[in-house]
Amino acid sequence: MQDMDLKTSVKGQVLAINDLPTLPGVLDEVTKLVENPETSTEEIASVIVKDQVLSAKVLKMVNSPVYGFPGRISSIQHGLVLLGFNVIRGIIISTSVFDMMVQAMKGLWEHSLGCATASGIIARHAGFDDPEEYAVAGLLHDLGKVVTAVQLPELHQKILDTVEKKNLSYYRAEKDILGFGHDRINAWLGRHWNLPGNIRAAMSRHHSPHMADLYKSTCCVVHLGDFMVRLFEFGTSGDDQTSYLRPEAMKELGFKMSDMERCMDELADQLLDVSDVTF
Amino acid sequence: MADVSHNPPFSHKQRAFVISPDLELVETLKTLWSSEWMEFTVFERGRSAIELLFNEPPDLLIVDNRLEDISGAEVANSVKSENVYRQLPVVLVMDHEDMDEPWDWTTVEVDDFLVRPFTPSEARDRINLTICRAMRALDANPLSKLPGNTSIIQRIQLLIDKKEDFALAYCDLDYFKSFNDKYGFSRGDEVLMMTARVIVNTIKSFPGGKNFVGHVGGDDFVFIMPPDLVEEACQRVVQSFDAIVPHFYDAADRKQGKIVSTDRQGVVREFPLMAVSIAVVFNIDGRMEHFGEASAIAMSLKKKAKENPKSCYVLDRRT
Repeated sequence: MQDMDLKTSVKGQVLAINDLPTLPGVLDEVTKLVENPETSTEEIASVIVKDQVLSAKVLKMVNSPVYGFPGRISSIQHGLVLLGFNVIRGIIISTSVFDMMVQAMKGLWEHSLGCATASGIIARHAGFDDPEEYAVAGLLHDLGKVVTAVQLPELHQKILDTVEKKNLSYYRAEKDILGFGHDRINAWLGRHWNLPGNIRAAMSRHHSPHMADLYKSTCCVVHLGDFMVRLFEFGTSGDDQTSYLRPEAMKELGFKMSDMERCMDELADQLLDVSDVTF
Repeated sequence: MADVSHNPPFSHKQRAFVISPDLELVETLKTLWSSEWMEFTVFERGRSAIELLFNEPPDLLIVDNRLEDISGAEVANSVKSENVYRQLPVVLVMDHEDMDEPWDWTTVEVDDFLVRPFTPSEARDRINLTICRAMRALDANPLSKLPGNTSIIQRIQLLIDKKEDFALAYCDLDYFKSFNDKYGFSRGDEVLMMTARVIVNTIKSFPGGKNFVGHVGGDDFVFIMPPDLVEEACQRVVQSFDAIVPHFYDAADRKQGKIVSTDRQGVVREFPLMAVSIAVVFNIDGRMEHFGEASAIAMSLKKKAKENPKSCYVLDRRT
């Protein structure tokens, strides 16, 4: 009973979020771009895709019923074309930055960008169309952790303490403290914000891709991406453990170890470029 | 005394009915616009006005709540309850005592009100705004909220009359009907909303405050731009539309790049993914005199654009 109460109140607080902050690095860069009306949407998109919160805001806005096509847009570039310069600038100037937890958030931003990069590479190797959409799904896969930190600071601290004390993964510690993980929080957010099915599936099923009913391939790609970027220890997502690699995910994508190795090599190269991004 | 030397913000002379026993009000109203712009017909009693209202509806109705034979609200409602007169803007004139209780504006369907005492200039602008608002609301496309036919024709004719150079582009979608038939009209509306957004944002991204986008209806859109920029605008509309529209199909159809459906005769037919066709006509050095010329040329060009199943644009190269 108590668990139910916690879940209900947490869900209310999570969905009440209306001003998700981000880190200043990418925000400053985009702010400069939108000050110049000559900037193309491609240029703006190429910067926004590095920041999970700005990307989430764009997709939330363009998929809102106001625009008339909820759940259809999963590409940042398309989102920006449809929102237009004026609305993009509105999103940018109304976004605030973290004044606390900056160091921890930097790790999470790097992890998300790393996972986006890995997911794009894996999707391309698997021969899927529109690998950028898999990258976006990878970018947003841990958004629930950001929302937890902002909306539930006390519970978030308890989770971090549990990670430390019991030497658990962040995901296990969430289940200890909340009774559910960020994948559940992601599912609430994805539905509330009318995000497209493929992104919602990856957000809520990247730890359990074998259970996905829809968009299984996207879930498996992001599952693998998350695993790889943890192996490289690029950024941090709340713990320093490797995640469990589901053999079903490899099977779904038709991946052998040699495919994994090729993806890992490519990821190693691309992470060098990505590590230039300062958040 | 209000200044009547300025032109009011509407495009043609308005016929107004004033139903009021208050002679002072009537005299004040008459000073607010020159007789070139506003023609008043005055009724002292409500009942006597109603038949004429229905027979020859004016452009504006001003009703006084001081009427003795029938309430102002009742006059307003008798007009507003008929769909063919609903667009007629109605302003209710009241006294302070009338405001003691809150009004239920869902049952008294007026467009605005004035409360005595008001200054003449306040009345003038309140009424001007009411007229403009009614035009906007009447003409907007109910789906996209873009300006509709009346505004489009007015805009084109205005540019022709001013002998300004402009390019006029007519856009429509190929295979929209087959998409609608397969996926249903609400999925079709999603595509129209997306198309409107692509065109609006593309056109807005070009400099020049005179650019204009209208929605003729269904899958027909219009935009107006300076002649030297229009080709680039067409390219960008085509490029954005082609990149985005596949995502409005189900995954299987998107992958195939076509939809397959069976028509009423049981014949299996294939339709490519939707494409946008744009026909552009130019008015340079004031060669056009009437909006009809522009649309006639555009329609013949559109046939040419439609011959290509892919997205494309055709420019009128006649000089």
